[in-house]
Amino acid sequence: MIRLATDVGGTFTDLVGYDERTGEIFTAKSLTTVHDQSEGVLAAIELAEKKDGLSARDVIFFAHGGTTVINAITERKGVKTALVTTAGFRDVLEIGRGNRPDLYNLQFKSPEAFVPRSLRFEVRERLDAKGRVLTPIELGDIEPIVRECRARRVEAVAVVFLHSYANPEHEIACAKAIAEALPDVTVCASHEVSRQWREYERSNTAVLNAYVQPIIKRYFARLESALTERDLTCPYYAMQSNGGISTFDQAQMSPLTLVESGPAGGVAGAARIGTVLGESEVLSLDVGGTTAKCSLIHDSRPTLDSEYKLEHTRIAPGYPVQVPVVDIVEIGAGGGSIARIDERGALCVGPDSAGSTPGPACYGRGGDKPTLSDALLTLGIFDPASFAGGQMQLDKSKAATAIATVAKPMGLSVEDAALAIVEIAHASMINALKLVTVQRGHDPRDAAFVISGGAGPALAARLGRDLGVKMTVVPPHPGIFSAWGMLAAEPRADFRSMWFAPLGPEAVSNLKRRFDELKREAVRYFSKGDAAEIRYACRVEARYRGQEHGVFALFEMEDDAESFAQRFHAAHERAYTFCLPGSPMEITMIHLEAVLHGPVIAIPKLDRTGRSLDAAFKGRREVYFGGTTGWVSCPVYERTRLPSSERIAGPLIIEEATATSLVVAGQELEVSEEGLLLIRERDGGSV
Amino acid sequence: MIVVDPVTQEIIEGKLAATVDEMGVVMARTSMSPVIYEVLDFACGLLTRDGELVAQMNGITLFTGTFGTQVKSLIALYGDDLEDGDILLTNDPYSGGTHACDFAIVKPIFFGGRILAYAINVAHYLDVGGSVPGSLAPNATSVFQEGLRLPGVKVVRSDRFSGEVLRIIRENVRLPEVAIGDLTAQVATVRVAARRMAELAHKYGTDVIEAAFNHLLSVSEKQARAAIAALPDGTYEAEDIIDGDGVTTDPISVKVAVTIAGDRLTADFTGCPPAVAGPINCAAGALQSAVRTIFKALVAPQAPSNEGWFRPLSVVAPKGSVFTAEKPSPTGWYYEGSVHASELVWKAVAKLMPERFSAGSYTSLCVVYVSGKDEAGQPFIHIEPQHGGWGASRDGDGANAVIALTDGDTYNYSVEVIEARFPLLVRRYELNVEGGSGAGRRRGGFGVIREYEILGEGASAYCSFGRTDTPPWGIDGGKPGSINLLQVEENGGNVRNFGREPHIELNRGDLVRIITGGGGGWGNPRAREREQVRRDVEDGYLTREVARNLYGYEEGMAS
Repeated sequence: MIRLATDVGGTFTDLVGYDERTGEIFTAKSLTTVHDQSEGVLAAIELAEKKDGLSARDVIFFAHGGTTVINAITERKGVKTALVTTAGFRDVLEIGRGNRPDLYNLQFKSPEAFVPRSLRFEVRERLDAKGRVLTPIELGDIEPIVRECRARRVEAVAVVFLHSYANPEHEIACAKAIAEALPDVTVCASHEVSRQWREYERSNTAVLNAYVQPIIKRYFARLESALTERDLTCPYYAMQSNGGISTFDQAQMSPLTLVESGPAGGVAGAARIGTVLGESEVLSLDVGGTTAKCSLIHDSRPTLDSEYKLEHTRIAPGYPVQVPVVDIVEIGAGGGSIARIDERGALCVGPDSAGSTPGPACYGRGGDKPTLSDALLTLGIFDPASFAGGQMQLDKSKAATAIATVAKPMGLSVEDAALAIVEIAHASMINALKLVTVQRGHDPRDAAFVISGGAGPALAARLGRDLGVKMTVVPPHPGIFSAWGMLAAEPRADFRSMWFAPLGPEAVSNLKRRFDELKREAVRYFSKGDAAEIRYACRVEARYRGQEHGVFALFEMEDDAESFAQRFHAAHERAYTFCLPGSPMEITMIHLEAVLHGPVIAIPKLDRTGRSLDAAFKGRREVYFGGTTGWVSCPVYERTRLPSSERIAGPLIIEEATATSLVVAGQELEVSEEGLLLIRERDGGSV
Repeated sequence: MIVVDPVTQEIIEGKLAATVDEMGVVMARTSMSPVIYEVLDFACGLLTRDGELVAQMNGITLFTGTFGTQVKSLIALYGDDLEDGDILLTNDPYSGGTHACDFAIVKPIFFGGRILAYAINVAHYLDVGGSVPGSLAPNATSVFQEGLRLPGVKVVRSDRFSGEVLRIIRENVRLPEVAIGDLTAQVATVRVAARRMAELAHKYGTDVIEAAFNHLLSVSEKQARAAIAALPDGTYEAEDIIDGDGVTTDPISVKVAVTIAGDRLTADFTGCPPAVAGPINCAAGALQSAVRTIFKALVAPQAPSNEGWFRPLSVVAPKGSVFTAEKPSPTGWYYEGSVHASELVWKAVAKLMPERFSAGSYTSLCVVYVSGKDEAGQPFIHIEPQHGGWGASRDGDGANAVIALTDGDTYNYSVEVIEARFPLLVRRYELNVEGGSGAGRRRGGFGVIREYEILGEGASAYCSFGRTDTPPWGIDGGKPGSINLLQVEENGGNVRNFGREPHIELNRGDLVRIITGGGGGWGNPRAREREQVRRDVEDGYLTREVARNLYGYEEGMAS
């Protein structure tokens, strides 16, 4: 009985299968098919069938992650969408928040709204902040809107009324009227996708959800029929941005939850690795071709980002949306990141990337700019012959030529310039990793550091050392780890709702009632009956009176006002270095995380036969460490033959099909019984 | 002299940027007052031991040039009398600061027994005492009406808050809990900075760090000089009018002469009038900031800010002018004046750099204070800067509804958040299409209309809106934009108009209508592509009449 996951990335579609009976793992990689991603998925399945004898009939579980939603948004290829909103507020979507983070740009503009002004319509109605009706909805206003939508061939309509998080009745009435009049049009009312306040953010959420909904429905329909044709019939699941999975049907209802589908798979995988190791605090880093993404797992759960924004940069406000997305900090440094000398004469790495075409210079596909991968090859960390399991021969001289273009202006040798490129990529990753830990009040010294992605394991040991983590972990199949992680994800749903109350005994008993309501909603959502095994985590966002932004703290059903307050003070102190125990507190939002128990990928103990240091030894390679150390001859081992539970002193290199790991001097490697590579400082200390 | 290798240099610069960002996050999320957490009216920075700015958080432009002068004046004040664990507080407008509401917290960061750097955090306090709640009387005539001034005191000694200073603050402000909360948040940020600098110093040593600071400054200086040298030498002049000072509505004529000579740029404000009676004056520190904002836009808008960029810049202005006010001239609404200094320089050089500049904007932050009592009888103050229309550029239409030049990463308030908090009902929030914007081949962006219905009794408001008579300027045949205005529509229907107004009584059912203007146009409107005009008509940005009269457009021309 096989559990299968496919992850469609920008360049490759990765497949990981796991046979529950034998523990056998299937892997395959195909080229992503941009016009219809399901073709690449099928190609990967076909490859696994041919190569490893995967039998599609035996698949009992299929998880899928992809970029359909994010691509439709970034390429502006969603459907023609209209917005219906409260009279007086049709420009909210266009005005946005009006901030100008690009401070000195006198030509700055807010991001363009996804619905043009002529398709933003107003309906007379009004609620107050408590959800009371101030102006009853004027249903007669909808008729001309419907006519216009029909004439303009609108395919999706978002409905957003002020304060619908407190009372959805007007939105429901309006959405119903539109859906009846326009049966072929997708209608999305904001309260269905977000019950949080802030009208601009909720409008964006509803609009983007409507904008991609028809696209994802068509895509899932194509994928389902293609899978069925191949006899791959089983429950189909989509990887959601919250680190859990949902059925295709559930995902279609709020497709925006798929926006960070791929990266969330990696985070789910890192959480699983933490569980195997008995580590509840995990810092994960996935180094891809263009960017590296890091995330924090706290209490064995992925952390959610409360203010997720699409296309957000330091100088662009982006599009905030209110969907649960794992808190991922993205750094513009990946294996394909290009190094250059900037106008200050300083060496920079990224954010431009050589991507997969032309790719790094060493790929020999016409790329002539020096990249992080070229630097890793030049330093001897990557092997030209055995890279990617020997499927791709790397060209060392092309890498050297490319690196010389930055080495010369700096007056450095090629290998010192390569080292400089790695150092700078390293420093920007460290800054970002500290952002997700220290800045959020967590201490990296308590964390296991799980690093994946093509170039990740090559940088792992040094990053781990500079962060001072407990240990650095290279998981199985680091090059296709997001797909692997999807097999570790369970069905999950997040329910958030605004609720204001001063913290006190009355509020606490109300909280319990509200959480019970949300739990009933979760049971309905999973539709597995009342006996379904669901794990809940209740969180309450609260703040000191006068503050705007709240802090989430866990709420236990047996809490009283005092015990919850204690936990809130602690959470506030961890996040912001202080707490105000004497100040009155207010509850602002409640959040129920519901995870339906499901089988997740097991990591079987290694079969010890045929494993030894000698069997794993492949030879030696010169690696350049610079400074007074210079070139050092390092032993090279094959990961699949390494013995478990032995401590091996660095420096050394471990090779496998999808990645190369480096362990530096002063560190030691241990292969866990499950085959995880654990790297620790020899003296046990951290820097 | 130590030469820092380029990799270490890059790593140290990355760490400086990460540190000021971290300070900013801590501040925004821990502050107790909405002016800080919603409007982000604060900034954080790191400076050398000589008070030269090396890194600044991305926040608002008002503080572009104030950090250096503020820290330098504290260095001059204290000399060697600073110890590890000290934190200073200043809010003096006349020694590099802005107005009394802006509390600057400065921590000398010691390493190995001597000062390595300074961390600074400046934040706008909700109230610092004075003649009116919020401390900014639009008709103040003296700094003594604008609240408590603490010109450089040790608020923390040996890492402990000074009880005396806290008592003084508590007893002199209207919302002591909020003030002390914000002070605590500010102190947390400079302590974070000290920890991060110590990490750097441990790793690289203080000599390397100081050398990296110097290198950073001199590289930026070189780039700025190269950018100026590429512009044609000459003197470029501009004039403008400030619409009233809050005491009278008399026009105030201001002007600048910008001279580019080789790799230097001088902005000379000689000829501007003496300080006015009302609080729209700014002091010399704020003038520096105002000019630097445009200088930065000219030479390197996206590069991280530091003192080096501004070394080729000189600002000339006689003492005691409207832009160089001295004690006891009021400066509460200084940014209403200083923004005109920015816009003068902007207007003077705009045509030299059409790829980076735009026509005139709505300019004024149009701040409104609404106060009263909520349902529970508790007093409230709602302070709100308004967003408005920006000017067109050679290559694109102006921005709709973004924040004025003086601010930056400043959000508007969510309607839903306001209504949950205050006895106010927002009747509409939309683009000010009816007021229009500057017509042009590229047209100005639109301002906003925001209407508040007052739900409680005994409320009042005050405001200071600029550009209520003199609209934003157009360029190259582009038309001027439209003006800003605050209207009160009484329950009976009577409508009154305001600009800078110290006190407006409000009754239940009154409507406060905030109207911000559209930006200026660029180029002849008749040269605008027909398809663009057609789309503007379809989207309702232009009426058919405007399309016909200003753009010479008739229905059906585009097809």
